[in-house]
Amino acid sequence: MTAAVEDRLDATFGALANATRRAMLARLAQGEATVNELAEPFRLSLPAISKHLKVLERAGLIVRGQQAQYRPRTLDATPLREVSSWAEQYRPVWEARLNRMDSYLQELQRDEEDA
Amino acid sequence: MVEKMPDSVTIERMFPAPPDLMWKLWTQPEHFASWYGPAGSTVPVARMDVRVGGTRLLCMEVQAPQGLRRMWFTGTYLEVAENQRLVYTDSMADEHGTVLAPEEMGMPAGHPTTTEVRVHLEPVGGGTRMVLTHIGIPEGSPGAVGWAMALDKLADQLTANDNTL
Repeated sequence: MTAAVEDRLDATFGALANATRRAMLARLAQGEATVNELAEPFRLSLPAISKHLKVLERAGLIVRGQQAQYRPRTLDATPLREVSSWAEQYRPVWEARLNRMDSYLQELQRDEEDA
Repeated sequence: MVEKMPDSVTIERMFPAPPDLMWKLWTQPEHFASWYGPAGSTVPVARMDVRVGGTRLLCMEVQAPQGLRRMWFTGTYLEVAENQRLVYTDSMADEHGTVLAPEEMGMPAGHPTTTEVRVHLEPVGGGTRMVLTHIGIPEGSPGAVGWAMALDKLADQLTANDNTL
């Protein structure tokens, strides 16, 4: 995996690691929404809301509309598909396997030295 | 902005042992069984016919809340270049090596029935650089050839048995 993809996955997971942002994505999954509409369910200041939106934007999870007045946000689920791709779910499995392979190797080499 | 991700995962790692020892860890059942399964699991069955077209059958036993859970995996060796390159297919199976659909086994949707594991070993200093790639094989693709080979082999065996009857 390239460093660019690693960075993108970090950004995606970072964006998802927050209940407010997940709720915003859930709202956007139903259709585009303005910042005010997105802010409505939360008792948060507008700057706080726009901070969350920026995190989601940087992760490529939402797209800002061009209509200057309302600037509705739209969900872009592409990074989510990336996170849940079959192969990426296997990465930690293989990392763990290779760690065990490494420990087992050390065991073998120790036994050899003792022998 | 997002390019299409290949359905694969690649991991590169250095190991402080020469390629021939790493090869044994991949191809000798007693070694393979010692590291492959997750912590708390055992690998009571590891049958590995390591030659092109040879089959593998692996059983992993995991302690689950409902008791011991046995999972079987099977596949075919596609490339066997001693101490250099090993390629095999991997699928969930039953104890007879009959391939099962991943959904039947409770795997998430989109998990391919057959995956391919590629291990590349390269000597670096006194150690080994290992590049491991795990790829999903879409059904009916050229990569599914491993299964065609396995089925051909089975057909040959059945024909041979018929002749001896």
